[in-house]
Amino acid sequence: MNKDDSKANKKVEKRTIDIVHQGLAKRYRAEGRFKFYGLAAIVMSLLCLAILFISIVGNGYKAFRQTYVELEVFFDPAILDHENLSAANYSGLVKSTLRKMFPEVKGRSEKRELYKLVSPGAAFQLRKMVLKDPEIIGRSISVWVPADDDVDMLIKGYFSTDAAENARRLSDKQLAWIEQLREQGKVKKKFNTTFFTAGDSREPELAGIWGAAVGSFFALLVTLLLSFPIGVAAAVYLEEFAPKNRWTDLIEVNINNLAAVPSIVFGLLGLAVFLNFFGFPRSAPLVGGMVLSLMTLPIIIIASRAALQSVPPSIREGALGVGASKMQMVVHHVLPLALPGMLTGTIIGMARALGETAPLLMIGMVAFIVDIPRGFTDPATVLPVQIYLWADSPERAFVERTSAAIMVLLAFLMLMNAAAIVLRKKFEKRW
Amino acid sequence: MSPATILTVLLIFSSVAYYLGRKRAFAVAGKAGGIRYLHSRPTYYGALTALWCGIPALLLFGLWLALEDKIITNLVVSGLPEAIRTLPENRLNLVVNDIKNLVNGNVVAGAVTATIQEAAVHYRNLKATSNAALAVGVFSLGIVATAVIRSKISSTLRARNLVEQLIEYFLIACSCLAILTTIGIILSVLFEAIRFFKAVPLTDFLFGLEWSPQMAIRADQVGSSGAFGAIPVLSGTLMISAIAMLVAVPIGLMSAIYLAEYANRRFRDIAKPLLEILAGIPTVVYGFFAAITVAPFVRRLGFTLGLDVSSESALAAGLVMGIMIIPFVSSLSDDVINAVPQALRDGAYSLGATRSETIKQVVLPAALPGIVGSILLAVSRAIGETMIVVMAAGLAANLTLNPFKTVTTVTVQIVTLLIGDQEFDSPKTLAAFALGLLLFVVTLLLNVIALHVVRRYREQYE
Amino acid sequence: MVRKTVLLVAALVFVFVASTGVVNAQSARDYINIVGSSTVYPFATVVAEQFGKTTRFKTPKIESTGSGGGFKLFCAGVGVEYPDITNASRRIKESEFEKCRQNGVNEIVEVKIGYDGIVLANSKKAKPMKISRKDIFLALAKNVPDPKGGERLVGNPYRTWKDVNRSLPNIKIEVLGPPPTSGTRDAFVELVMEEAAKSYPWIKTMDKKAFKEVAHTIREDGAYIEAGENDNLIVQKLDANPKAFGIFGFSFLDQNGDRIQGSFVDGVQPTFEAIASGEYPVSRPLFFYVKKAHIGVIPGMEGYLNEFTSEKTWGPEGYLADKGLIPMPDAERMKYRADVSKLRVLTALNNQ
Repeated sequence: MNKDDSKANKKVEKRTIDIVHQGLAKRYRAEGRFKFYGLAAIVMSLLCLAILFISIVGNGYKAFRQTYVELEVFFDPAILDHENLSAANYSGLVKSTLRKMFPEVKGRSEKRELYKLVSPGAAFQLRKMVLKDPEIIGRSISVWVPADDDVDMLIKGYFSTDAAENARRLSDKQLAWIEQLREQGKVKKKFNTTFFTAGDSREPELAGIWGAAVGSFFALLVTLLLSFPIGVAAAVYLEEFAPKNRWTDLIEVNINNLAAVPSIVFGLLGLAVFLNFFGFPRSAPLVGGMVLSLMTLPIIIIASRAALQSVPPSIREGALGVGASKMQMVVHHVLPLALPGMLTGTIIGMARALGETAPLLMIGMVAFIVDIPRGFTDPATVLPVQIYLWADSPERAFVERTSAAIMVLLAFLMLMNAAAIVLRKKFEKRW
Repeated sequence: MSPATILTVLLIFSSVAYYLGRKRAFAVAGKAGGIRYLHSRPTYYGALTALWCGIPALLLFGLWLALEDKIITNLVVSGLPEAIRTLPENRLNLVVNDIKNLVNGNVVAGAVTATIQEAAVHYRNLKATSNAALAVGVFSLGIVATAVIRSKISSTLRARNLVEQLIEYFLIACSCLAILTTIGIILSVLFEAIRFFKAVPLTDFLFGLEWSPQMAIRADQVGSSGAFGAIPVLSGTLMISAIAMLVAVPIGLMSAIYLAEYANRRFRDIAKPLLEILAGIPTVVYGFFAAITVAPFVRRLGFTLGLDVSSESALAAGLVMGIMIIPFVSSLSDDVINAVPQALRDGAYSLGATRSETIKQVVLPAALPGIVGSILLAVSRAIGETMIVVMAAGLAANLTLNPFKTVTTVTVQIVTLLIGDQEFDSPKTLAAFALGLLLFVVTLLLNVIALHVVRRYREQYE
Repeated sequence: MVRKTVLLVAALVFVFVASTGVVNAQSARDYINIVGSSTVYPFATVVAEQFGKTTRFKTPKIESTGSGGGFKLFCAGVGVEYPDITNASRRIKESEFEKCRQNGVNEIVEVKIGYDGIVLANSKKAKPMKISRKDIFLALAKNVPDPKGGERLVGNPYRTWKDVNRSLPNIKIEVLGPPPTSGTRDAFVELVMEEAAKSYPWIKTMDKKAFKEVAHTIREDGAYIEAGENDNLIVQKLDANPKAFGIFGFSFLDQNGDRIQGSFVDGVQPTFEAIASGEYPVSRPLFFYVKKAHIGVIPGMEGYLNEFTSEKTWGPEGYLADKGLIPMPDAERMKYRADVSKLRVLTALNNQ
């Protein structure tokens, strides 16, 4: 400042306003730059978001459609023994059908290549049909069966057919057969219902997320049942009843810290306490839910306390003034007003629990589980763990399935968050 | 009667008890000369009766279920023929498993022998008896308790206080769970860590420069040397976190400033939730994104620049982690910046400062402690992040400052050391707990400091 | 309102008690519990799925824990809480067998399921490498014979493949490979590193422990990257980094034949036929081990064994061959099937 002053004194004809004007353009430029940086930062982070979504969707949208092949299956009574229908040779049935469709195929290796066109799931599908209605034996029915994952990949355009034969997953003959089927209109892409109704599978075309979704549901149910009541109760105590002393201070510090403890540490806790000390079963949604509820508890407590704090003291004083006891004041007046905020916090906590993977890795939820879990102690996996597992699988078709599973998971999360936002908007009150 | 039905019936009993208690209260009040002569409102007498009916019965129920299985199993086992009964314990539990499968109607392992069938019938009978006894016990306890408390109801019984006391105990118990969790974490990590430090001295762990925990898992195997020096692991963690912060802090902070100071309401309403989506995306998704999209991109980029980039470079993991952390920094800083009173800004404007000058010279200095706190919280989040690094960073513990090389982090090591390997006494598994302890302590310190800083300076202007 | 609180409290207690009840009335296990090697995992899961979908039994639960981890869990004892079967990409070791015995797991049935080649592979974007086992040893061992000559060991000085052997390309040595918990690592060390070390007479004549020290210790200076058991991510990383090589089972190469290629080892390229005929030098048998005590007690055990050892599964035309498993010769398959049907117990390790 002194320097500026002395300058101004020397050149008397230059007034302060002139100096200000002189620097003004520069200052405005700096202003513009600064504003631009801010905007650029936001654009940049939104760009990251966009790239993330585009790469996931781009990788995964094709997984919602699956290639099917139409087979004219003759349910041969010679193959299907009435006595033992459930253990009959259904893959033999599929094979004989394929041989009939391509009578020119001779030789073992050629036949094997032919059989590879359709998924092993075709046999399961025929088995199901026969078991459901044994009457169809002896008749010819046209059935759409899932194509093998390699065929699926080809139809979806992941392979270029120009590559040398040994560099592709499909041989020239197989390509010719597929072309032939295509011309006959016997190859079709249909909505992939299997993906939404099946459990895990080693065949990408048979793999689905339903098992993991049910596992997630059980785990989250446990989490919700444990963490919501306990979280709300703890928040009410700390906010409304707790005397200010060292003990409550300790609890408070504890909760704030737990909220920021890395999730994997909760996994260690689950492993050491629930599995090794109490001997709970591995891979069970019950244990997963308990670990997750310990993790979400601080989030819910903090959100609930904020909701309680936002209820103005006048309400409390009013209630106390007309003779309510403290408990009556809380239960009758404060809680109902704070409940929307608490629910919002709970939903956000649940959303986080739904997406959590790391602690579940520690308690054996990384496993190949095909059957849909039917209870809290059945072995199960959850959606994010399923994503992690599929990201590991050697079959190429799992890459798109992984992305598709991510899309489903994200859809759930957005739904939950949207619910939280709507709830907040609807019940938000300014006092 | 199955346990579920017993519980339902008990719930019905409880509600009946509620009405009985209330009715009794009205009756007592009528004698005393009107409701206003009661100590509490009649509903409280009802509630008290209901609680008396329910809680002891529930306790009995829980205790019974906890012990039932063991007792029945013992009884069934003692009824088995000598040859099976004298099997070693572990074989015996397999037989019992088979019996239970039969009882539950699950598919059983093999042909059902007469003995097993008999045992299953025995088991089922005992179970039925036990359930019946449980039902009788629970209901009679409920009824007796209800009768006792009902007879005690008088106009001077302080029902409301009793009920409220009970509820308050429950609230206290819930709030103490947080402490229990912390104690649980500390104990579970500490015990194993102490066992680890018996095998590997603490100083070696804290100051060792080499980390290669892939020691031999069998006597006749030569693994790596089995060095447990945490420094390379820590340095890797810090490097990835640092890269993440280099991405997240400028972007997050500038976004927060723009949103708080420049953006109009509409822009803010759209941009803020969008930014927060970034925080809501599960980390496994970021991990997949890092491994499939970002890491190859970083590699190609490095390649065109003539750099030697490892395919599991710290850079890729750090960048993606940075993206994940942006919203943490931005939303926390946003709050802090908004908390700076408008009067300070108005003062600066009135002196002729431009907006950016006001922000740089007035708002930011005022908000600085809060911003630092939020950055510290973000750092602790970055250090504890697991899935991104598990999927995108490597396992090689290099002590390096080159972001293009592979490094490893504390969380990656915990996961790789523990997945699959459940033996609890090799230093290798225990090392995971030592690392867990380290992680817990480091993040704890960061959190405590951050929370302290935030709280200390938050109310400065209010 | 009071009523609501009462309900809330009642509901809470209900939840608490019910959860303890659920846990304590731990339902019996009615599915097979399998652990073990990540190399066998892709095969075992296919069999498990086939088994689960075509019988009334539940699908076995399979965790991929690595061969070493699998044996640890498997040998922990007999009983419902322990696994029934462990997969292994190598034979059970004497020490593990002992451990099993100590814990009362006396009767183990060994089943060999086929062969798997171990390949050194890189991205198709680069040229395939022709390498000898000795070169691999020199490139990856922690201590190697002094390149200047003389019978002494020095810390591995080689930075690029060209340093190792003039005929190899001039790129940095960067190999992604399995950690010691993995059976692939065991087999790799045995089949490549040991064999190569033996080609130096003075190393071969060292005492057994010192020899192992030399042959088994892999360098830790960043040239060999322990990439976990996650073979698929290795494949993806190779695709992204044409200069790097990866060590993993043939099945992964087979699945990703359009993106990666196997290096010629001692002049032979890893192909299905070359491994099956034994021409390709680095191939190892795959196994699984069954607790005999659990057969007949855990539902579905016989069925699973039967499914695994039937011709349509592990035969040359079977579905495991489609997944990249190299089938055993006919006689060997017969022998193991007979072993399984008789439940022949492994008594000592040298009774093959």
